[in-house]
Amino acid sequence: MVKATRPSRADYYKVLADRLPANALVVTSLGNASYLWAAMHHAPENFYFEDAMGLALPLALGLAVAQPTRPVIVVEGDGALLMHMGTLVTIGAVAPDNLTVLLIQNGVHAASGGQALTNASLDLAALACSSGIARATNVATPQAFASAMSSGSAGRGAQVLVLSTEPDIEVVKPPIALDPVLTKHRFMSAIGAPRYIPTLFGGGRLERD
Amino acid sequence: MAKPAAEPPDSHRPSAILDTLKRLGFGAAIAVPDGWLGEMLVRVEQEPTIQLVRATHEEEALAIACGARLGGLRAVMFVQNAGVLSMGAGMVSLAQRYQFPLLMLVSYRGTVEDPVFYHAPKGRVTEPVFKGIGLTYARTDPHRPIGPQVEQAATYAEEASCPFALLLSREDVQW
Repeated sequence: MVKATRPSRADYYKVLADRLPANALVVTSLGNASYLWAAMHHAPENFYFEDAMGLALPLALGLAVAQPTRPVIVVEGDGALLMHMGTLVTIGAVAPDNLTVLLIQNGVHAASGGQALTNASLDLAALACSSGIARATNVATPQAFASAMSSGSAGRGAQVLVLSTEPDIEVVKPPIALDPVLTKHRFMSAIGAPRYIPTLFGGGRLERD
Repeated sequence: MAKPAAEPPDSHRPSAILDTLKRLGFGAAIAVPDGWLGEMLVRVEQEPTIQLVRATHEEEALAIACGARLGGLRAVMFVQNAGVLSMGAGMVSLAQRYQFPLLMLVSYRGTVEDPVFYHAPKGRVTEPVFKGIGLTYARTDPHRPIGPQVEQAATYAEEASCPFALLLSREDVQW
């Protein structure tokens, strides 16, 4: 739930950088969710969204399915979630143990300038639970977030942590180029994803190097 | 490229689609059903080498497929053409912008062969909208085996690094 005084996104990101599980893959939504994470913890295993609002969560679900042995962490905003709320139901049904959803609840569309949400005070953890996700918690402090991140995977499907956050309207300048195709290739190379061998070279299939 | 297995012209076309996906190593199928796709998805769900994800919306399905491909799984989507009409933003700003190769097997509702009249508005605009959003596509040829057509669509998607939609008739996909 949204409180009167809330931590910043950076406060939570400091904890995330500190408690990031080994071999974690991180997907960040558009705007400062990506820009600030790139500034604080750029790594090849980060997949930055440039736009495509509302689709970070389903992309992370597909990634978690494809990489079941690696922790997948996705940072999504409350406004973006409202655009594709059905994804919570899909995550609840697939129930990947390796997926952690961090929902930034700042009560506004921060990435587009701070416009009001349709409803800024939803209990998003309750919503996640009602969608079939067993582990969903509202978090109000970085300390509580650190504790939740340290508790590890309980093997009961995806985990949702709703982070009550002060809006960050001012755009953070990312320290790297967020070229979409470069982001994708860097990520896939870092995780050793199989690559497509063209038919010209006798391929037509995905193969590992 | 491995030589495709010969497919008799009178073979069961939905079975040939599933056999082709297995042979090409597709590991994930992301779907939103319609009346023609329902049984196909049941069959896909029974395949041990393909994980089926039933999404709540086609744009969500598109993003799940992108994520699966990002993670190294070859991904196919099963959706109705109406679903492609409703995924335009994700198509251009995610799948095309990041150049994800995706095979989209799309039930083509609302053509003159479709007896369900209320699909007509969607059928009428499907191909113009596909062209408008830059989605490469083909209609299946009913006089050719379906397996090689699926393989060609999948190959195009990979070699052009983009989604490719194969528009399917009822005989292609309804089990």
